[in-house]
Amino acid sequence: MYWVAGGFIFRRVNSPFHSLDPRVKLLVSAELFVVSLTAYSVTQLAVVMAVMLSIAAVSKILKRVGRTLIFSAGFSVFIFVINLLASHSLLTSAVYSVRFLAIIISTSLFFITTSPDELEQVMKSAHLPRDVVFAFTTAVRFIPVLMLDAIQIVDAQKSRGLEVEKGNLIRRVRKMVPVLIPLVVNSVIRSGELAEAMESRAYGAVSKPTSLHSYSSTKRDKLVAAGSLILFIITVYIYVRFPTPL
Amino acid sequence: MGIATLPDIQRWKGLGSSMGEILRVQNLSFRYPEAAKFAVRDFELTIKGGEIVILAGPSGCGKSTLLRAVNGLIPHMYTGEYLGSVSVGDHKVSEARMSELAQTVGLLFQNPENQIFMFSVERDIAFGLENLAVPPDEMRTRVDEAMRQLGITDLAQRAPHELSDGQKQRVALAGVIVMRPRLIILDEPTSLLDPKTAVELVELVRRLRDETGITFLIVEHRLELLVRIADRLVVMSEGRKVLDGGPEEVLADERAAAYGISIPPISRLRNQLKRDGLPLENGFGPDDLAEELNREALGR
Repeated sequence: MYWVAGGFIFRRVNSPFHSLDPRVKLLVSAELFVVSLTAYSVTQLAVVMAVMLSIAAVSKILKRVGRTLIFSAGFSVFIFVINLLASHSLLTSAVYSVRFLAIIISTSLFFITTSPDELEQVMKSAHLPRDVVFAFTTAVRFIPVLMLDAIQIVDAQKSRGLEVEKGNLIRRVRKMVPVLIPLVVNSVIRSGELAEAMESRAYGAVSKPTSLHSYSSTKRDKLVAAGSLILFIITVYIYVRFPTPL
Repeated sequence: MGIATLPDIQRWKGLGSSMGEILRVQNLSFRYPEAAKFAVRDFELTIKGGEIVILAGPSGCGKSTLLRAVNGLIPHMYTGEYLGSVSVGDHKVSEARMSELAQTVGLLFQNPENQIFMFSVERDIAFGLENLAVPPDEMRTRVDEAMRQLGITDLAQRAPHELSDGQKQRVALAGVIVMRPRLIILDEPTSLLDPKTAVELVELVRRLRDETGITFLIVEHRLELLVRIADRLVVMSEGRKVLDGGPEEVLADERAAAYGISIPPISRLRNQLKRDGLPLENGFGPDDLAEELNREALGR
């Protein structure tokens, strides 16, 4: 569980993609998202996947993207089966399930390479309310903490005889109740302490807080943004102008 | 990790160990809504600037409530029946805004994990300053100062989940110190630390007090570590102050153990030797005691 979920935790890596302005990373990721969503042929999807996996390789996050794909594989299979039952076409079903994975990769590229602090900056630049931004970044910040809590609770319950890996799906879900209840209780207690710590550190004292870091786009950021935008427009033009069959 | 001295910090609001009263709790009583009993009753406490005061007492005796009343969480965040008054520096706690109190009283919680919000150490240290809209240049200077002071400059870009408990404690303390408070409250600061890191933290507190004149109010059960640096030991029981004095004086008081205070073994031995008629002076470490016993033996 920790291995798969660990794929979602940000880790600092020195790579050309990591060091981009987070807004540019968001733009590239959004472009890849749209291109993945609108790709209709196997060839188009293959090209988009190849581009995204190349970016992942350059960013040294191929393994982490792999973990994210493992996490999403179940739902991809579900999409495949549902489409197979509905359309009776193997190719259509495959395209839909692969498209889902491509969408996952496009969003993962942004979230795996962007720290919550950068994410906060992006949200602030979108003029979202501070409370919303803070709630979101705090939730992201506490993912590793909650994961460790969950692992400790599972271990504690296992040592008291709980066999979470045994039984059918319904039984396994039922066995998670003794894990979830202490996890929720811990989280509620933690949220109370967090609220006290926020108050003690003047949260909400001014309507426009300042920030230690300010992000400014470099020449490289602007070049990447412009280049990706041009490629995006060309790709969409090709999709529209030369529609290809499955 | 190397720790630098910071002359700038000594300029905080004219701090110095010779300053006057920093905390005055007058006849404070507080009862949480729907609680049958008062958590704190008729509590009186005065702390002078630059003092290190330990607050001890059994679980549930009202220590946490008192801390909340000192840093303003009571009555600003927790409502209830509030009688008496608490003043910190120039502020009357019940009338001051939390943002004002945040710059006067800093609170380090028992579990530092729950007071680290940001994803990098330096961003977290800057959190309080960002909330006060401190200009980025000044913020950078103060954050760097705090990191140097706590010896965590090399952790600046690390994420909280990459830190050890001792490092988290230092990061959380840096987040408090960066606000340049006059009084810092530590709630059981060594409870999650291994013995070596706990000793380092205690030394850090002593050094911060000596260098900056900051006043410390520390809730602690592991008295053997902190009594060496403390000026006073205050004991609470059932919401009231029951003992208050120099640590050696309080630990020698036979009532201390009855109030649930864990008397350090070295203090128990010293008390026994004194009762047996040895004219010992005051001190807390085994080295002090050994030296005195040697002196006594040679004298005879």
